[in-house]
Amino acid sequence: MRRGDTGRGRDRGGKKQFKKKFLFRKKKFCKFCDEKIAFIDYKDLRLLQAFTPERAKIFPRRISGTCSKHQRKLMQAIKRARTLALIPFTSD
Amino acid sequence: MLQYETIFITDPGLQEEEIDALLKSYEQVTGAASGKVLKVEKWGKRRLAYPIGRHEEGIYVLMVLECPPESVKEIDRRYRMNDRILRHLTVRVEHEAQLGPSPMIRPRPAEREEIPGEAAFTP
Repeated sequence: MRRGDTGRGRDRGGKKQFKKKFLFRKKKFCKFCDEKIAFIDYKDLRLLQAFTPERAKIFPRRISGTCSKHQRKLMQAIKRARTLALIPFTSD
Repeated sequence: MLQYETIFITDPGLQEEEIDALLKSYEQVTGAASGKVLKVEKWGKRRLAYPIGRHEEGIYVLMVLECPPESVKEIDRRYRMNDRILRHLTVRVEHEAQLGPSPMIRPRPAEREEIPGEAAFTP
């Protein structure tokens, strides 16, 4: 199984071992939906930095669990902050 | 009339008065079209996340305007003409949060310590 796979709906036959392994994995949820954040501000650096770890790449949805709607808004905010040199495009 | 939020980054060598003069000129542009400036925030000198030109620092200024689209076009044109402005960004105001003080200058309340997304680190 690929790295970062959730194990959900990816097993195509025969790999019961994996299914068992992920049985008790905590369900991911969208942080923004949970906290009812409707608007993601590109000026809110603390928030954006939480989603651009280490190399300043955008934290992928499959790992963070953010829903597609919020991931899109987050992406927009991060890109705006990058143009304004508030957060880096990349770091080392 | 529409609301816009605009930020520009100037050369760090710019004096306070020069920035005020810039602000005044933009205010005149909006005023001429019977628009108004709703908010001005000077974030002061900040370290840039990456060098722009030869500059490692820049002075950030944010404005929220209520004006017709033509004024924004004019202000944008002025931004581009001025070579002491390193970067600029103008967006429509899409949330009332943008009208209040921005997270840059707002002291962070204690309860905001546990920020959404931070926990999202743990996959």
